[in-house]
Amino acid sequence: MPSQAARAELWREAVVGLLMVAPTIAVLVVLIIVPAIQATTFSLGLVPSDNLTFSTGQHLVNSDTPTLDVYRDLLASSFIRDDLSMTLWITLVSVVLVATVSYVLALYVRFGAGPLPRIVRSLYLIPMFVPVVIAAYAAITFYVDRGVLAALLHAVGIPYVSPAYKPGGVVLTQVWFNIPFAVLMLGSGLDGIEQELIESANDVGAGFLTVLWRIVLPMNLVPLLIVLTFTFIGVIGSFTIPFLIGPNAPQMMGVAIQAYFSNYNQPQPAVGMAVLLFAIAAVAGAVYVWATSRSNRHVVSA
Amino acid sequence: MSTSEAATTTVGDTRSPTRVGLTWFWDVPEFRRAMGLILVLGLSGFLLLPLATLLLWAFADEWRYPSLVPQSFSLRWWEWVFTNGDVGSAVRYSFMTAPVVTVIAAIICVPAAYSFSRFRFPGRRALFISLLAANAFPKIGLYVAIATLFYRLNLMGTFWGVVLIQLVGTLVAMVWIPAAGFDSVARELEDAARDAGAGALRVFWSITLPLAMPAIIVASFLAFLAAFDEAQGTLVVGSPTIVTMPVLMYTLVVNYPEPVGAIFSILLSAPSVILLLIARRSLLAGYLAAGFKGR
Repeated sequence: MPSQAARAELWREAVVGLLMVAPTIAVLVVLIIVPAIQATTFSLGLVPSDNLTFSTGQHLVNSDTPTLDVYRDLLASSFIRDDLSMTLWITLVSVVLVATVSYVLALYVRFGAGPLPRIVRSLYLIPMFVPVVIAAYAAITFYVDRGVLAALLHAVGIPYVSPAYKPGGVVLTQVWFNIPFAVLMLGSGLDGIEQELIESANDVGAGFLTVLWRIVLPMNLVPLLIVLTFTFIGVIGSFTIPFLIGPNAPQMMGVAIQAYFSNYNQPQPAVGMAVLLFAIAAVAGAVYVWATSRSNRHVVSA
Repeated sequence: MSTSEAATTTVGDTRSPTRVGLTWFWDVPEFRRAMGLILVLGLSGFLLLPLATLLLWAFADEWRYPSLVPQSFSLRWWEWVFTNGDVGSAVRYSFMTAPVVTVIAAIICVPAAYSFSRFRFPGRRALFISLLAANAFPKIGLYVAIATLFYRLNLMGTFWGVVLIQLVGTLVAMVWIPAAGFDSVARELEDAARDAGAGALRVFWSITLPLAMPAIIVASFLAFLAAFDEAQGTLVVGSPTIVTMPVLMYTLVVNYPEPVGAIFSILLSAPSVILLLIARRSLLAGYLAAGFKGR
């Protein structure tokens, strides 16, 4: 039983501690939790009457009880269905490419010898120095029809089909932009794998694939899942890259949301699409949480 | 891309029964060098050529297909950019908002970081993790949701609306990195100072804070860059009144010839290149801790 004084001290610590984190948590609640909840209720047809921007928006579903009409209308539109499916495709392809390319680079930097891996170590960080608007613009000037890549390929006689203003341009730029974080993350996991472990596996006859599949991947699972989840959320909610280098129709959801909100005066469909993205991202996040807790259990029971 | 081609080739080749070691071909020096070279060349081309194109465009006067370099060079667009009123106002807004965001983030978050590091209170772990919520929402969706709230609070198109939307992207870095900094301060030093008769505040100001300062500075750099480079939220909340440099970039890219966008790109990336070069090593660790940078 702690003494009176010690208990008072614990109380004081808890109160002071909570007071000091309160402002940060308040910002989090006001700028993220409250808007997310309001967006959800608004997209369910509950329109706050005191909000003129909402109640005068076009394509308004106004109801006293929650309704899925906004989502029904969204998914009934073939334009938005096309936008959504292209967004999902671009996101999945980008996530797979980012993870694959970054894994190769991380393995090379970790296990490669000589001066080349050192060069890669500085190279892959470069996109980190570049704001996303510029990354997208640089990609346009390089990949555009009759641009520099076209001229390079023309010089060696290879025909060129530009990916700019097509889904391929978005994917290439997303891979470019996401490489530094992914390689850093995966590399931090690989650093924890001891060389001796791999050498002893080799001694008992395990080949490259076996070592990768049975030792490296399982030991590096959590960083990989973090990369997959964060890249997924980042790409699916991206605006700048698809806005500058993506196609006009269909367009990615991020571009559509901004246009419906700022240009078409349709805040409710825009917010509805945003909540759809939240839901999809939440599924990705849940898979990540489930997988990490599962892998942690494995470690504990092993 | 040659990077992924390199990957599939290496994976396929290991099916050979003669393999020894992690990757048997690693033992064939020529093969190893060739694969490495292809990887490095492919990666350099993929990462650097778009940036090199942009750099050349900044000094180009005329550059027509299929020439590999500009036909003629000129600095006249630099003059245009530096005398343009929109550019001037965007530079002003960028350097007004980003520092204010950084200072506010530090004032709000550093005490929280200290508290997470030193005090035991209910929900400590959960609250620390919950900061990730700032990164868990698809960005553009979150910004539109925030904007609907800002309409009601009359914050749309205002300086403080922009400051608040940029603040969202700084929270995680500004708590997690300083918290790690406070964690790394040896308790023995603080105890020794306390034994020597220093009060709690004195210990904090002359021992804890100075030792945690590098982490706080790194976090401030990252927060400044996150705010300075933020384009999407500022576009939704700030325009048309408050147009910062990244937001102006959207207009410049669409409406003006390539050199303008290229020159503006150089100006816009200058702060991140300078800050990241100053503190490259510590920033890398901070970048990881922050989870990711804002897109």
